[in-house]
Amino acid sequence: MWAGTRSRAMLALVAATVVGLGASACGSSSPATSSASPAPLVVYSAQGYDKAVVDAFQKATGIQVKLVDDSTGPLLAKVAAEKSAPQWSLLWADGAEAFASLDSQGQLLKGYEPNVAWTAAGQSAVPQDKSYVPTGLTMAGAILYDPAKTPNPPTSWQDLLSPAWQGKVGMPNPAISGPTYPFVAGMMNQLGGEDQGKAYFTQLKTHGLQVFNTNPDSLHALTTGAIQIDLAQSSAAFAAIVKNPNLKVAFLDKVSLLPGAIGIDAKAPAPVQDSAKKFAEFVLSPAGQQAMLAGNPNGDSLYWPPVNGVSPLPSLPQLSSVAYQTVDPYLWGPKESEINSWFTQNVVK
Amino acid sequence: MTANNGASALAPVTDDRGQGSSARPVGGSRLPGPARSRPRWNGPATRRLAWSAAALVVGLVMLAPVLGFLLVAITPRTFGQGDAWFTLAPFRSALSGATLQSVLNTAITGVAAAVIATVIGTALALLLGRTKVAGAGLWRLGLWALLLAPSYLEALGWTRLVERDGVLAGLFGTDFHWLHQLVMGPAGVIWVLGSRGVPFAFLAVSGVVRGLGRDFEDAARVHGAGPWARLRITVGLLAPGLWAALAIVFAEAISDYGVAATLAAGSHFPIATFALAGAVTNFPADYPTAAALGWLLMVLVVLALLAQRMATRGRSYAVLSGRTRPVRPVPLRGWRSVLALAGLSLFFLLALGVPLLGTVSASLMGNFGTVNAHSFTLEAYQQVFQRSDLLAPVLLSVRLALITATVALIGGVLIARLLARRGGAARGKAVNVLDLLMLGAVALPAIVLGAGYIFTYNLPAVTGLGIQLYGTITLLVIGLLAGALPQASRLLMGSFSQVQDSLLAAARVHGAGTTRAWSTTMLPLLSGSLLWTWLLTFADRLLELPLASMLYPPGQQPLSVAVTTLINGYDFAAGTASLVVACVGILAVIGVALALFRLLAPAGWRRLEQR
Repeated sequence: MWAGTRSRAMLALVAATVVGLGASACGSSSPATSSASPAPLVVYSAQGYDKAVVDAFQKATGIQVKLVDDSTGPLLAKVAAEKSAPQWSLLWADGAEAFASLDSQGQLLKGYEPNVAWTAAGQSAVPQDKSYVPTGLTMAGAILYDPAKTPNPPTSWQDLLSPAWQGKVGMPNPAISGPTYPFVAGMMNQLGGEDQGKAYFTQLKTHGLQVFNTNPDSLHALTTGAIQIDLAQSSAAFAAIVKNPNLKVAFLDKVSLLPGAIGIDAKAPAPVQDSAKKFAEFVLSPAGQQAMLAGNPNGDSLYWPPVNGVSPLPSLPQLSSVAYQTVDPYLWGPKESEINSWFTQNVVK
Repeated sequence: MTANNGASALAPVTDDRGQGSSARPVGGSRLPGPARSRPRWNGPATRRLAWSAAALVVGLVMLAPVLGFLLVAITPRTFGQGDAWFTLAPFRSALSGATLQSVLNTAITGVAAAVIATVIGTALALLLGRTKVAGAGLWRLGLWALLLAPSYLEALGWTRLVERDGVLAGLFGTDFHWLHQLVMGPAGVIWVLGSRGVPFAFLAVSGVVRGLGRDFEDAARVHGAGPWARLRITVGLLAPGLWAALAIVFAEAISDYGVAATLAAGSHFPIATFALAGAVTNFPADYPTAAALGWLLMVLVVLALLAQRMATRGRSYAVLSGRTRPVRPVPLRGWRSVLALAGLSLFFLLALGVPLLGTVSASLMGNFGTVNAHSFTLEAYQQVFQRSDLLAPVLLSVRLALITATVALIGGVLIARLLARRGGAARGKAVNVLDLLMLGAVALPAIVLGAGYIFTYNLPAVTGLGIQLYGTITLLVIGLLAGALPQASRLLMGSFSQVQDSLLAAARVHGAGTTRAWSTTMLPLLSGSLLWTWLLTFADRLLELPLASMLYPPGQQPLSVAVTTLINGYDFAAGTASLVVACVGILAVIGVALALFRLLAPAGWRRLEQR
């Protein structure tokens, strides 16, 4: 009797699960591809303006795009988990180092460069093997401060090691905040190497460097007064000024170029790669750049365009006024995991 | 058939009289009676089919991704995560230096949090279940609010309170350095995880408290027992609930990421989930080491489960029979009432007031959560209701939560029934494995459970078989279900282990069919637990983030991911405001469901529910 009850109940569970899942499955649309129309794209993106650009692209080309939007960390974790069978056709995120790593693992389509008029800075971000395409430029290691509390901000990176800045400098943790690793790598690069860079950050630590989990955390610390100098990605720093116009951004000599880039899945079928190339070309076209500039004006849209003929949003200074360096992502990309672990164990604590 | 079972059904009813069922033999030997009698001729083929199908579904939901993720530690190359087909190197990396320390810290934190949660949860269950404490409805609502607030919000609240130039410093004009040190360290981590666990412990224990009736207390009173001796007896009878509470809070605590990433990360107190998530979000992601850490978390769960088993082995706690008399809540007077109210207020101030501060500082203050008069604004809340792009995610998440909660309730009932009953050795082993998998799914942080789903269902070998689940809503539902089933079944288990099968047997003796027997005996006794479990699952799944972010189909953002997108786009205020609106919405759903239950359920159910 009991067994009968149970078996019926079990069948009920199975039926309910199947019905439930079936019902939900009905809601998910399956991609329908016909050989005549261009192949649809799956775009994995961590950019704040991605939805606006995707909408504009679909309107302009009729190519269907499905967007997966997440922050850089989880997005790259997903890309790594899918390594045996990538589901993305195109990856769009900040930081050339991650793309260089993916390229070294053979995951990116090489040898593709859209035919556009690069600015000098844009050109410097194009990799030799043309495995990814820069779409927007920001700077790693901008200095954000409140002139009312900090009338004389530091003027050099060595300044930060003076007693005047003891305990007053903060930054996000590169192991958690995606766009912070390029800053750490950039500092190591301009100081002469990994060892010198580690020595510098160790000194910063002994001078009371405060490390926060993410950009919003260090911005919060700046506004409460817990720190006076926040080392941030330039777009985050300019975004902070939109919310709080009392703040100011300064660039020390030198900051590091931090491009946003597009990479195309090396294993994707040719028609999908063709659609992905069209997407990259659209992003670099005047219409695409306008969509990028309008898509997240209080955040990621605060970048310098990598192509001629497009102006950045008015709150940004001329790029020529910023002393920046270009870091070799193929040298520093593979070191990311090791350096981040070192940073967590030696500087965060 | 009926005659056969009817005759034997009388036996346990007579046996159990006045003794609970403590006289039952334990282990393999079966009692005569309908609960144990399974005539071989009663559709064995159907039964086998049903069991196989159920095992397949549960296996698909639970086993594959958990195993898939764990296997990455041993054979990374199979999943495209390294060069080795077979290696133990990830374990060496997980068992060395800072990572090993983080595992030890996790074990200590988990035990301490589980004990704190169980002590407070039991006290609350006894206070709210057996006394007429003032404002009982309000305190219950507080527990639900606590259950809904994500752990990082409480951690954020504490950080805002004690940080340099934080809220306390603003109020009192001085930095409380010692408090900062205390909160941003082991004590703060344990308290936040413990207080997060209180609602789980409360639900697990209060199910048992509800079913306890007053027979045992009356019996003790008759024999001259004082209040403390009666309390000791009551607590002793609560053991299944207590151990269920300890196990589930332990598993929840060691898998929590919100606190690990906030309070623990900033202090000298590394925790395993943070090390694990760090290995995953670092670039390139180190999944093999993360998986090895996953193994270690599973070992901790096994140890917790063994402790639970050793403590409750050989005993039966079936106290709910047809003769159980409902408990009459005792009014609290004088110093007892003052003490109870003071305790309740203090707990909710620390557990709920602080995260509220975190939310308020993040959503009402436009300026990165800084408190000043100019930045106090409701603009973010207006935005939430004006944004049309949030509508589709809201509808999708509501649909996902409805489906998941309903299926999890059905599955939870079956599993709880299975786990609460004892049987032969083979069945015992199967139950142990099921129990382990259930807690295993809780112990693995959701982000790696999500990665496990990707590894498993994105394997070319699997997709080659025509199983094209990855990237569909179906897999997202399965994932959400895997996260919900263990909680649902564990919450129901306390209530199920109390119901004596003699009740069903009695109904059958009186000629009721299976459905009628269930609906007239079990359903009234369990309706309260069932309703709460459904509501809990619904609320919990509506805002689930880590799994959803790994598994959502391209182009179909659930609410939690859409909110994260807002926050990533530097729209912190609108992001947190939409979280607050969602939480208020959930509370409204809970309120409506409870009101409907009061209005529509038969009077007898309500009376039982109020016990």
